[in-house]
Amino acid sequence: MSEPIIVFEDFSFKYKSQTTETLKNINLVIHRGEKILILGPSGSGKSTIGNCINGLIPFSYEGKITGSLTVAGIRTTEANIFTLSRHVGTVQQDSDAQFIALSTGEDIAFSLENEAMPRPEMLPRVEAAARTVGMENFLGEVPYDLSGGQKQKVALAGVLHNDEEILLFDEPLAALDPAMGMTSVDLIDRIYREQNKTVIIIEHRLEDVLYRHVDRVILVSDGQIALDTTPDELLRADILSKMGIREPLYLSALKNAGVTFGKEDHLADLQALNIDAYKEKLTSHFKENAASLSEVTVSEEELLNVQDVSFRYGEEDVLKNISFKVHKGERICIIGKNGAGKSTMAKLLCGIEKPRTGSITFRGENCLNYSIRDLGRLIGYVMQNPNQMLVKDMIRDEVSLAMQLNGYSEEEIEKNVETVLRMCDLYSMRNWPIGVLSYGQKKRVTIASILSLRPEILIVDEPTAGQDYRHYTEIMRFLENLNKEYGIAILFITHDMHLAIEYTDRAMVFTDGELIADDYVFRVLSNPEIIKRANLKQTSLVTLAEKAGIDPEQFIHAFIEEERRIRDDEQ
Amino acid sequence: MNSDRLFINVKPGKTFIDRLTGKTKVRTFLALIMLLIATWDIRLILPLFFLFIIALISIRPNWKKVWAVMGFIILVNLFNLLLMWLVEPDYGRNVVGGSTVLYRLSDFYIISAETMWYFFVRFTKFMATFVISLVFIQSITPSEMAAGLYSIKVPYKACTIVSIAFRYIPDIARDFQNIKISMQARGLELDSRKASLMTRLKQNITILAPLIITSFDRVGNIANAMDLRGFGKKKTRTYYAEHEDTRGDKIMMLVYLLFYGLFLAVVIIKIVTRPEYQVWYP
Repeated sequence: MSEPIIVFEDFSFKYKSQTTETLKNINLVIHRGEKILILGPSGSGKSTIGNCINGLIPFSYEGKITGSLTVAGIRTTEANIFTLSRHVGTVQQDSDAQFIALSTGEDIAFSLENEAMPRPEMLPRVEAAARTVGMENFLGEVPYDLSGGQKQKVALAGVLHNDEEILLFDEPLAALDPAMGMTSVDLIDRIYREQNKTVIIIEHRLEDVLYRHVDRVILVSDGQIALDTTPDELLRADILSKMGIREPLYLSALKNAGVTFGKEDHLADLQALNIDAYKEKLTSHFKENAASLSEVTVSEEELLNVQDVSFRYGEEDVLKNISFKVHKGERICIIGKNGAGKSTMAKLLCGIEKPRTGSITFRGENCLNYSIRDLGRLIGYVMQNPNQMLVKDMIRDEVSLAMQLNGYSEEEIEKNVETVLRMCDLYSMRNWPIGVLSYGQKKRVTIASILSLRPEILIVDEPTAGQDYRHYTEIMRFLENLNKEYGIAILFITHDMHLAIEYTDRAMVFTDGELIADDYVFRVLSNPEIIKRANLKQTSLVTLAEKAGIDPEQFIHAFIEEERRIRDDEQ
Repeated sequence: MNSDRLFINVKPGKTFIDRLTGKTKVRTFLALIMLLIATWDIRLILPLFFLFIIALISIRPNWKKVWAVMGFIILVNLFNLLLMWLVEPDYGRNVVGGSTVLYRLSDFYIISAETMWYFFVRFTKFMATFVISLVFIQSITPSEMAAGLYSIKVPYKACTIVSIAFRYIPDIARDFQNIKISMQARGLELDSRKASLMTRLKQNITILAPLIITSFDRVGNIANAMDLRGFGKKKTRTYYAEHEDTRGDKIMMLVYLLFYGLFLAVVIIKIVTRPEYQVWYP
């Protein structure tokens, strides 16, 4: 084995503002040229490990360090962040905020500018770095015209030219659509191979990262290293769901069929996994399930009717002849790549924009002339970032705000707010200050504050962005409950295929302003043409079904139903 | 061609002035502004004014936007002069010298040639300042501005604040828009026909709380991103956006040196001759 490049020895860290240690007694050695995945749920301390390696701790975040950490032969407590940044290149999670400059070229050049490198030397290096990530034709572009994936590529190029030996990726998949995420994992892998770097990826989306080989997975839980092993061993260990990590879907499907794996199985790579031995079990289990498949029933009660709606910004057609209906109690996911028209559709439904042609009716009434405020009582819109929605100090005040603004009487407010707080399981916390809540709890408060007006449809924008599996499950179960118990129709705008599979019945797929598919989720996700056109990622269930010679559509359908049954039993 | 030209450009344009370096733009602008502040001589101001108009035409601005702003500035200026006249109708006596009455409205309110002359010079001077500022703002990108300020020895950390601000202003504006919409959906009335100014003002302040919190989150991320890429490591810095001097820059260097010379000349003449009146009068 080659020489160690990162060595944690009995390393502990406590943030100045916290009372307990975030990292406890970490012992970890990473060798030069390894490709490592640091896996763990939110709050496990995995990002803190990253910040220790790149020097943000203790440079930007104060706290108490015990033990030692050596990166490329430098003890981090004795070096400053600039010395470390020569060895460690970091690509952060928020690809927008880390785009500091006003053009691609300038952003890639940022670290060279700080080195005071003369411009003639700088230009070829910027161009070379841009070519490595495939952005050489975008050097003059401004950040506002780039997609999340492109911004991430720029961020990566920006840390490629200082001969950093270590590349650190902090949740690189969080903000990308599925196909973009795959491209990103591919790109990281290519640079790892071509440039002999040591690569560390911090993520909780295991299946997506395992799309390309990693040498070792470090599972972090509660500030400690729970497991340090190969991906195959990790998947065999049957520890993931306990740790709040989603296991790959194909493994869930195989396990549901009662398959137990042997030592030689390459679990981390579905392509390499030899399933011949399990084919029989899988097929018979599928047949059993398929026999009892139920039809998805949709209420007759029509809420929303969108007919031939078109919309354009300036010269550009953003939406072309969109028609669909939403019925009471439906669960629909709206999917498609960035800029496909999903958010514009949501804006039209909320009255923020008015369509150029076409009609939108709510319970048969034309609502094109309704103001944002009028529509807010019919269709609630939950933004992605709860911090953008919370304006009050107390949970109760936040939830009653909308009713106050709409001029309800004190009694009505009192009564309704109590109901909503109970619906959202917030009643016991009603007098808590919002500042102390976790991200997921804040999300719940924003949903409660929207629900107080009793809308019949909720549009939820990326409910699970940046959430690990445990929090994701918490939020989604909550929404599922609202849907089931109160018949609220929910439209999810999302990139997350797991969400679509697990929690929705119907998928509407947008591409280039057109609604290219509007059908059952299992049908949409097993249609390779739609997957490709909409920049989605084919789920591993399709691959598995094909390998086993089962019809993918039915296989996904059966899988979804079984998973829901299992989930209902758990509750 | 440049009809989509915005007031603040992020991408460099293609005309002669656009293609100059930030250094040249900042230095020239500074020379011209100093000169304009120093002089009250129409023989200097008027030619400069015409020169600036030519410069403005040369960068092919979005005339619709230019006229909108120009109209506003002209109105404000005229109003300003009117107020001055109302307070002190014989203002010209002090700054131009003499008071040749052209028309007498009352004992106090007179229209004198000197005052009118002063107003004319003042108006031209302000308009010239405005036009050259317009040219400057429209032809410089924030990155060039940072590089240009750095070239006149402004510390680079301060220069970076300029470009960073322009980088994130659109983001913050978008956040504000989002927050506003989500509040409207919850029932906030921002329609001027339905809510009074005070209510709307108060409600806009409600929106600020989440805006500040989201902005702080972003600031933390930006600061980390900058630290991680070595911002502040060295005492000096170079700029990717600042290309090498072209022929245009070399010519313009002569031009701005000439203007600095003129500025010095104006100041020295003033000190030496100590003219009785500030404004030159034929």
